[in-house]
Amino acid sequence: MIPRWSAASIRVQLTGRYAVVLCLMLAAYAVATFVAVRHEFFEQLDEQLLEEAETAEGLLRPTAEGRVAPAADRHHDGDGDEDRGYDVWSSDDRLLYRSGADFALPPAPARPSSPSLRYESVDAAGHAVRVLTRTATVGGHPVALRVFRSEDRLRVQLGEVLSVLVLGFPLVIVVAGVAGYVLARRALAPIDHLSSEARRITAERLHQRLSVPNQRDEIGRLAAVINDAFARLDASFGQLRRFTADASHELRTPLAVIRSIGEAGLGETRTPAEYKQAMGSMLEEVDRLTGLVDTLLRLSYGDAGTVRLAREAVNLGQLTREVAASLSVLAEERNQRFELAAPDVVIDADRLVLREAMMNVLDNAIRYSPPSSTIVIHVGAETGQAAVTVTDEGPGIAPEYRDRIFDRFFRLDEARSRDSGGTGLGLAIAKWAVEIHGGRLSVAAGVHGGSVFRIAVPMHAISSAGARPL
Amino acid sequence: MRVLVVEDERKLAEVLASALQHESHEVVVAPTGARGFERASTEPFDLIVLDLMLPGCSGLEILQHLRQRQNDTPVLILTARDGVDDRVLGLDLGADDYLVKPFALPELLARVRALLRRGRPSTALRLKTADLELDVVTRRASRGTRALDLTVREFELLEYLLRHQGDLVSREMLAREVWKEPRRATPLDNVIDVQMARLRRKVDADAGERLIHTIRGVGFVLREGEP
Repeated sequence: MIPRWSAASIRVQLTGRYAVVLCLMLAAYAVATFVAVRHEFFEQLDEQLLEEAETAEGLLRPTAEGRVAPAADRHHDGDGDEDRGYDVWSSDDRLLYRSGADFALPPAPARPSSPSLRYESVDAAGHAVRVLTRTATVGGHPVALRVFRSEDRLRVQLGEVLSVLVLGFPLVIVVAGVAGYVLARRALAPIDHLSSEARRITAERLHQRLSVPNQRDEIGRLAAVINDAFARLDASFGQLRRFTADASHELRTPLAVIRSIGEAGLGETRTPAEYKQAMGSMLEEVDRLTGLVDTLLRLSYGDAGTVRLAREAVNLGQLTREVAASLSVLAEERNQRFELAAPDVVIDADRLVLREAMMNVLDNAIRYSPPSSTIVIHVGAETGQAAVTVTDEGPGIAPEYRDRIFDRFFRLDEARSRDSGGTGLGLAIAKWAVEIHGGRLSVAAGVHGGSVFRIAVPMHAISSAGARPL
Repeated sequence: MRVLVVEDERKLAEVLASALQHESHEVVVAPTGARGFERASTEPFDLIVLDLMLPGCSGLEILQHLRQRQNDTPVLILTARDGVDDRVLGLDLGADDYLVKPFALPELLARVRALLRRGRPSTALRLKTADLELDVVTRRASRGTRALDLTVREFELLEYLLRHQGDLVSREMLAREVWKEPRRATPLDNVIDVQMARLRRKVDADAGERLIHTIRGVGFVLREGEP
């Protein structure tokens, strides 16, 4: 039943629910009204009976024949005699007097003892009759006075009330339903407007935004949320476009080199040494391509979340010293100096993945630091977190690029880094490697110019990081 | 030695066959999984080079069936997928080694040699080529009468080259064996080049004959005479 509802539009759903609630309320109201009206009618009838009983009691006198009769019937108007009347019974159940309608009432009235009044509805041969029985004294003799009136008229009136209630019911529901539908449509119109506006914003027009008439109301907030989502989508589309363009450039360049070397080599006959030279240079390009493809695949495994960390106790200080020692030859080539402060800090991490992050960050620092400068590497630990900072004396990174340098293929200096053999993926890999540990890789400006890269990782595995030990 | 190459990519199969024949092996090429399994289960081989992604029948299935039949011919797996799970699965099913495509041919040949228990890196404690000598115990190396002053890393590098003397050694092999880095394309490639240049300066400078050669696009080789 929920699927059937959910297939209808909100407008129809709202109207339907509104109608159901209204039905229930109306039904309760109708029942209550009917019960109250019925009670009121009977109360009126009973009052009339009591009045008539008192009048009759006042008029009745004993007759010579030992019966009773009204002394003078001048008050009797005779109207409605066919549906009302009264009779008097002696204490030994003899009928002493009867006046008015002659219903087939039971002959002997039950004599009420206490209280001296009794109202009852009696079925007299198909007629519902309301009967009041009371004890009275006529000429010193106790008698039972019975006053009665047909309930026919009352029942007809009740029937009319009931039919008004029942017949009006569907009418009210229909009117309310239509009104509800119109109201719902009016209330939801801004959403329809929003959705048709949103539909116009496609991948090609992602920079467009929804108009927000009122920031504060529900629709305005919804539009703001949708606009936020569009902005994020726009940003990631932009990133994807840049990545695709960069990736095709990076992948096609080596392919173009391989192709032209091959074509040139086959163009004319060359010496074996020249052929070897040509093949060697093709293989170099193949190496570059292989590296690119491997790195891109690793990043995409990371994106797909299929990488599992082999966590173990890793001494971050020792790992840092090892990485620094490995890369020190690159620094020495450029006459750069490491200043290393790496005390032992044991953390829970995947050694190889973390090492790759550190190697790429340090390699980046060496690459972009001027010759004869100092690179300061510092390992520290604070509440539950270990951090490695690498401070260089390079040109620094303008604030607007600080986030983008971790983007794939982003390069601050196109020509230089490509010649020096960088793939443009080192920092992207480093960022991924740190983040899969639940950590954060960030860059800030150094105190004396240059940049400070900071690898911060939790000392203990956070189970929600999505990475399980192998 | 008889080697079965189960590889559906024709060009790759041809290159593998010719390289292995060059190393004096008898090579049988099976272009499909079914043919490969048939040959492997009816003829004796000393080694099977098995591609994992084959039309019709996956390399892992072949491996599994062979091992179930108590066939314990050494198997070297070739795979284009380098997901850890694939490797673990392959090794669990009884593969002896694996290589991720695109692999360097020298590396494949080195693995084949190792699996065939031939050309196994010597465990000798004194290594020698021409007038280059290295003593693993005293950690000393000399070229002729000249003692070489090597750093720890340079010593390890030279030891590795000497143990594989005459064979081509790729950067990938050096990264994995000497620097213990199983991944390709890391900043280590540059480090290896620099270390190798330094080592070469120390070993070959002032010496009549060059022993460490760079094979462009492939790697390095340590040997007497021209590479």
